[in-house]
Amino acid sequence: MRIVVCMKQTFDTEAKIALTADGLIDSTGVTLVVDPYSEFAVEKGIQFKEKFGGEVVIVCIGDTQAETAIRQCMAMGADRAVIVTDPAMDGSDQSATARVLAKAVISQEPDIILGGFKSVDSGSAQVMLRLAEILNLPHVNVVTNIEIGEGKAIATRELDDGVELVEVSLPAIFTAQQGLAEPRYPSVKGIMQAKKKELKRLTLADLDIDPTSVGPANAKVKIHGLTLPAPRKGGRIIGGEIPEATADLVKALRDEAKVI
Amino acid sequence: MAGVWVFAEAKDGKFRRVILEMLGEARKFADHLGEELWAVLVGSNVAELSSLLGEHGADKVLVMDNPNLAAYTTDVYAGVTLGLINTYQPTAVLFANSNMGRDLAPILAQKLDTGLITDLTGITYGPEILFKRPIYAGKALVELSFAANARPMLLTIRPKVFTPAEPQTGRQAEVITASADLNALTLRQVIKDVIRKASTRVDLTEADIVISGGRGMKNPENFKILEEVADILGAAVGASRAAVDEGWREPQYQVGQTGKVVSPQLYIAVGISGAIQHLAGMNSSKCIVAINKDPEAEIFKVADYGIVGDLFQVIPILKQELQQALASA
Amino acid sequence: MNATRQIYWNIQGHIAIYPLFLVAIVIFAYGFYLKYRLWHVGQPVDRNDRKGARAKSLIGFVLGHTRILRRRQPGIMHFLIFWGMVCLFLGTIVVALQSDVGLQIMHGPFYLYFMSLILNIAGLAVLLGLLIALYRRYIKPAEGLDNQPDDAVILILLLVIILTGFLTQGLRIAATHDPWAAWSPVGNLFARLFAGLGAATQSEVHRALWWSHLFLALGLIAYLPYSKLIHIGTAPLNIYFRSLEPNGALTRLDLEDEDLETFGAAKLTDLTWKDLMDTDACVRCGRCQNNCPAYLTGKPLSPKALIQDLKLQVHQQGKLILAARKTAAHPTTGEHETAAGSELDAGLDEQNLVGTVLSEDALWSCTTCRACMEQCPVFVEHVPKTIEMRRNQVLMESDFPAELNGAFKGMENNGNPWGLGWAKRAEWADDLGVKVVATDGAPEYLYWVGCAGSFDNRNRKVSAAMVQIMRAAGIDFAILGTEEKCCGDSARRLGNEYLYQSLAEANIETLNGYGIKKIITQCPHCFNTLKNEYPQFGGNFEVIHHSAFIAQLIAAGRLPLQAKLNGTITYHDSCYLGRYNAIYQPPRQVIEALGLKLIEMPRSQRESFCCGAGGGRMWLEENLGERINMQRTEEALSTNASCIGTACPFCLTMLEDGTKRKDVAENIKTLDLAELVQQAIQSAQ
Repeated sequence: MRIVVCMKQTFDTEAKIALTADGLIDSTGVTLVVDPYSEFAVEKGIQFKEKFGGEVVIVCIGDTQAETAIRQCMAMGADRAVIVTDPAMDGSDQSATARVLAKAVISQEPDIILGGFKSVDSGSAQVMLRLAEILNLPHVNVVTNIEIGEGKAIATRELDDGVELVEVSLPAIFTAQQGLAEPRYPSVKGIMQAKKKELKRLTLADLDIDPTSVGPANAKVKIHGLTLPAPRKGGRIIGGEIPEATADLVKALRDEAKVI
Repeated sequence: MAGVWVFAEAKDGKFRRVILEMLGEARKFADHLGEELWAVLVGSNVAELSSLLGEHGADKVLVMDNPNLAAYTTDVYAGVTLGLINTYQPTAVLFANSNMGRDLAPILAQKLDTGLITDLTGITYGPEILFKRPIYAGKALVELSFAANARPMLLTIRPKVFTPAEPQTGRQAEVITASADLNALTLRQVIKDVIRKASTRVDLTEADIVISGGRGMKNPENFKILEEVADILGAAVGASRAAVDEGWREPQYQVGQTGKVVSPQLYIAVGISGAIQHLAGMNSSKCIVAINKDPEAEIFKVADYGIVGDLFQVIPILKQELQQALASA
Repeated sequence: MNATRQIYWNIQGHIAIYPLFLVAIVIFAYGFYLKYRLWHVGQPVDRNDRKGARAKSLIGFVLGHTRILRRRQPGIMHFLIFWGMVCLFLGTIVVALQSDVGLQIMHGPFYLYFMSLILNIAGLAVLLGLLIALYRRYIKPAEGLDNQPDDAVILILLLVIILTGFLTQGLRIAATHDPWAAWSPVGNLFARLFAGLGAATQSEVHRALWWSHLFLALGLIAYLPYSKLIHIGTAPLNIYFRSLEPNGALTRLDLEDEDLETFGAAKLTDLTWKDLMDTDACVRCGRCQNNCPAYLTGKPLSPKALIQDLKLQVHQQGKLILAARKTAAHPTTGEHETAAGSELDAGLDEQNLVGTVLSEDALWSCTTCRACMEQCPVFVEHVPKTIEMRRNQVLMESDFPAELNGAFKGMENNGNPWGLGWAKRAEWADDLGVKVVATDGAPEYLYWVGCAGSFDNRNRKVSAAMVQIMRAAGIDFAILGTEEKCCGDSARRLGNEYLYQSLAEANIETLNGYGIKKIITQCPHCFNTLKNEYPQFGGNFEVIHHSAFIAQLIAAGRLPLQAKLNGTITYHDSCYLGRYNAIYQPPRQVIEALGLKLIEMPRSQRESFCCGAGGGRMWLEENLGERINMQRTEEALSTNASCIGTACPFCLTMLEDGTKRKDVAENIKTLDLAELVQQAIQSAQ
């Protein structure tokens, strides 16, 4: 079974987000990691390989820094990787990303395609599904379990008030939610082996994609600007008698924080 | 033809509050464009819901009522919705950022070769309409616009952000009934089973709201009052290491360094002092509420809102207040 | 009249002693050789450097019994038997020299004082020692002892040898009416027993006993390497070959070595020969176990059982390995191969250490507190073995308690085990205006805050106190701020050498980059690894723990401490400050200078009981047995002191947790030394 996992490298979730003078996200000194949702997918892919045999291929779009994340996946047990690195990709939207990813993924002739249902950085939660549509493959979104059967799979999809079991035939695409698999901690043995695994570097030209068809100029959605949210106000102790304070709290949660 | 559409996802003959919130904002959106506000009702036995949509601001309600649409599957819903969009050519379509919206919108965006902005939290109306959404788990915000050729504009809307319009009793929307040949669609997803959560209580790591108790809970029985609050909020109940060590809660409910790491929208820490071991498991929560009788407790340092007081006095009142607040919503 | 006696009185053919002795020695040597071969299935390690220091160890720890005597009853027992037997052995040599070499030395005062009086006392000492031993084993069993047949055989054998010796002497005195009998008071006593016997009977019984004594003594020599008495040889060897590295330095793994097939110890052959020899030096005295916090709180770890189970493996697996190597070295195919690593070729499936000598639960129960090693009279190295096994579990198998995943990733991505954003590391100092090296340049003293001092709100108070103290003393200091990373202590002790090295190398690069020479730490774990382990990676700094630093400042009169604090305090020695680095007095000097009355806990200084957080246990759940911190808290509370003093952020957390759980935290404060000093400075100002 060939398992292709789409992996994205992102900021560590604890990273402090700041803007550069140009108003872009400042990545100076930020720890880059395998996106946690991608990581669930990678782990599940490796578990499938261990159970059914075959190989796990990581497909990634990113610059050379992303190779660290790829090696991390390889240290966990992925067998090889394809990375698409092309300056033309900078500023591409999800539509272009999905298009490029589709070419890279399908070149691997996958039996099953996994990826995070979203990433923790942009969190747009649409690339994997656009990919499914481009490849004309069935998908199950936001899954917490996948059972592989003969030529098909049953995935547990999260609903707002429960879960449902969805059956699709393979090849198919599944997007990982937390709970799909607990990523393993790579052993040093794995890290050593990872250094020697095959990493194929591709450009858009290698995938027969016109570099002028991607990038900001072709984006369906344009970025106007980034802002940082108002800094979290230091905590507020709600004073007064307990009944009033509690009522004020509920009001604040609803009207200020908008969390209930 | 044009219009701003709200995809009025219904479940068991009811709308979630977010649908009304979407109508409230979409009304402004439509008015800004000088277009009509349409609500789209796709499902089984949904026709009678159209009046509610009218009262909340919809000019037209497009109803596709079909017993075969009772359960959501991507191919069926994407198929019929695509048909409607192609027929009526809306300018924008708003989906709830629910599990259905998150699944349907990207597929449609790709089918229509258009843009999609997910998890929307704000719209600025001007010569160019700007759409705001959080990135980096809310640590930054991005403002976006749709390219001129990206039509319809597809959006998914985060719940609890926008305000529903005041309902106008008796306001009626024009109902357009649509139908589709479902047999013409290829169905690749087959639902084998649906498991509704027995209780509203959700998994700790996935919950939007978590309420946790610590050493201040005094005994295992007292966790019942937290569960009652959790039921009202649809929250998960967690515990600090101290409470787990005392044997008041099972280890799988422990939030902290050596337990579960959670990052809900709202985290309510009850009788928890806020040792770093606990903070490491919940400090990325969006909003933190602390209830503790010790004003010096470390938890207040990370809390957005705090009440200094006896939790056994606070929690019952909190329960009542929440009941009232959520009932009025 | 010249005092002496007739040698070999009543004995014909004493010369037979020599061939018999030779037989005994051959049996002895063969047994020892077998053991020696078994030890050397282990990896090589150089333990023969610094010979002078090693010889000195022998004098102190073997001849001086300095460690053995730390426990009074068994210490005295061993001292009596050891020195008694040494004297008797010397006496036997003197006899041989006189009778068969021809040295005429058994005369006059030497005969009277040494050969008669002292040897009588020596025999008596051994006898007394044996009685204590029998009492400890069979009358009132001492804690930590387990009785095996070998123990009884040895004691009885020795007892009979000594008794036959005295009896023989008694009979000789009785029969020869020895005029110097008074110089052999014990022998003389026995002589009175036999005074009534006829001369022929005396002579016959004497002869029988003499030969019995000889055979038993030779039997004992032959039996040595097959019993725990091998420790007569292995204990001095073990002491001679003990590690002379700093207590706190674990060995460095060369992770770049591509030839290494495995890291850490999975199997017997991954351990060193010294590790394996340890098992034959151990006499099961149980001191390690009696001081082990894991064992004493009901966890499935006993350092004694670890060594004994390993011994079993050495004997069972070791033999198979030797046999397999032999087969491999002389293969029937005619191809010759070197021994190492050829067991598998010979079809031997070596057992894993984890699961046989140590269960997984036991492996992760160790707090690396070093109480076992501190107590062991023969310098068995329990902790390094445990770490080697952890290393293998983590580096090769990636098999460790799940809750460590977060701690490891936190250290990796954010340089702290809680995984809190690294950019927040210096936030505690925001309002204090503390200098940061990157912007303010290198100071005289780098203040190494550590993860707890940086991130944990409770320990941030200690950091703030340190800032106030150093300012009051006019110290030129600065912090690394966000450039500081976890020192890696926990990672290393949890077996994650890879992570440890990456943290250590990054920190050393930063420190060396700024030309830092002197470092002050408030965490004994940071202190230990910076001081003792960073030199392995090119980090050579003068590292001072804050307790010692404050003690120096006070001694030099640099702190305004006019006001004395009142009240009582008990001080908890941190393992990594105390046992690992022998810093016992400075914290006590600080307490004294503050005017506090120190009430020691029953277990203090080198016998201090761990708080439960060392060895990376801080990041693990404690689900087995009683909680270590609770036992220690109860011990602290038993002193009725009004305050618990600590000098370690982990200890502070664990003991304060303990007082909270006991619901006494309001009244009994747990405070770091720096906080106490801060109080004294504040009240002085």
